[in-house]
Amino acid sequence: MVVAPNVCLTLSNQPENVLLVREALSGMADTVGVDGVELNDIRTAVTEACNNVVLHAYEGGEGLLQVELYLAPATVEVVVRDHGTGIKPHIRGEEEDALGIGLSIIQALAPRVEFKDVEGGGTEVRMEFSTPETQELDALPRDGFEPPALAEEDLASTTALAVGPSELAHRVLPRVMCVLAARARFTTDRISDAELVADALVSGGFEASSKQHLRMSVSVAAREVAMRVGPLGGGTAGRLVAETNDGVGPVIEKLTDERRIASEGAFETLELTLRDNR
Amino acid sequence: MTVTEMAVSTATRQTRLVPGANDEQQLFARHQQGDMLAREELVRRFMPLARSLARRYDRSSEPFEDLLQVASLGLLKALDRFDPTMGHPFASFAVPTILGEMRRHFRDAGWSVHVPRGSQERALKVRDAQERLANLRGRAPTVNELAEYLELDQEEVIDALQAIQAYESLSLDAPRPGATDEATSYGDAMGEEDERYELVELDATVSAVLGRIPQRERQILRMRFVDDLTQTEIAARVGISQMQVSRLLRRSLDQLRALTDTKS
Repeated sequence: MVVAPNVCLTLSNQPENVLLVREALSGMADTVGVDGVELNDIRTAVTEACNNVVLHAYEGGEGLLQVELYLAPATVEVVVRDHGTGIKPHIRGEEEDALGIGLSIIQALAPRVEFKDVEGGGTEVRMEFSTPETQELDALPRDGFEPPALAEEDLASTTALAVGPSELAHRVLPRVMCVLAARARFTTDRISDAELVADALVSGGFEASSKQHLRMSVSVAAREVAMRVGPLGGGTAGRLVAETNDGVGPVIEKLTDERRIASEGAFETLELTLRDNR
Repeated sequence: MTVTEMAVSTATRQTRLVPGANDEQQLFARHQQGDMLAREELVRRFMPLARSLARRYDRSSEPFEDLLQVASLGLLKALDRFDPTMGHPFASFAVPTILGEMRRHFRDAGWSVHVPRGSQERALKVRDAQERLANLRGRAPTVNELAEYLELDQEEVIDALQAIQAYESLSLDAPRPGATDEATSYGDAMGEEDERYELVELDATVSAVLGRIPQRERQILRMRFVDDLTQTEIAARVGISQMQVSRLLRRSLDQLRALTDTKS
């Protein structure tokens, strides 16, 4: 079966996004029970691959970084992709050694590594790690899965992601939200609120989207985090906000500053804004 | 990240400046014949590589000095095993050898079966700093403020925040220095008050479910979602840390969801 990634991140190659990727990996590790040396290997190798995209793929400029995580029985596969000028042409001169060490680290830590040119320019590093004794998740069939897209003008401020199944999203999304809320200079109070919203979205969002992935994009400004969740099924976005049946009233409504539902054809997008008005 | 990169490029530049490939080959040749001076020079030259690998491999749990020691041991092993006549550059041989040494060290230390002590201690430090800064400023600190205050990097603070959420066993419920008995036994103190408040108008399902959540969690839920108090305000009233309020909120909301799911 051709499978869809369990986590797919589309983001800018800004250095601080490497931290976001590392936190997503930790969330994955918590879910399936990878830890210790295995987790450290994965985090270190993926960090090196991302750092290559940060430092070398766009010749110092900004561009797309895409990270995909595939969880299979006893293996974790991570793909790091850029659409820049490619890593290989850079392996020369001054940069050779610094880059060379990064690549040797990846090769030393990942039992299987594959470097590929991306059609239309760019490089893909595919790393497979063996993770015996981890908990299995349901496989997600590819079924027309498209990586979340990001318009060029949003690249600097926005992270787009798709994550599934829900037990994985439950660990990954709040961690990613924590990184983004920290970047928005939220206080630890509001960071925790943002994580609670992420929890609530994971609990209700899968049903509302009737999909195997929860898809969303998150934009960060000073003291503001704006989420766009969807596509969701028609009529479900409102329910997601109003009917978080927690016994304490609608959690999302309580914790967010603004809520908007945008409709497009048969689908809806739920737009939530959190601010830190300390 | 950038710092690491800089460290590496400085390191690699240093290895190139004086020697040139020829010089290095000679050093390796002399080293193979047991020349200790050549060995010393090679260690000096490749130490920055070991240092950079120690820094890049794991950034979260062990003291850096310990890691560096293990990495240096790996470097010595790499020097002993390297065969210069094979024509490969030393670095490409040394990287996996040094990393292998560090991985073995962690495995031997039983690293995977417990939360590393370093991250536990850090989590507690972050929790305490959070409280101190909140008291000082009248509002909760940001991650940057915590990082600056504790001289940690952002990732270390974020990992600590996550650790506090995750590890019940971290004895986070233990009283903190300066906490009074009154504050720590908040559970009892809150008991009488609890019955006077009801959590909004609840339908039958939810009321039934709420009854199965411990009292102090119910209190905290009410303070956050009915009284609109911030987590820091709740922490002050209840006498626990904001981190703990955060953890209790998440946990009880999770429980409520699970309970309402089974009901419906």
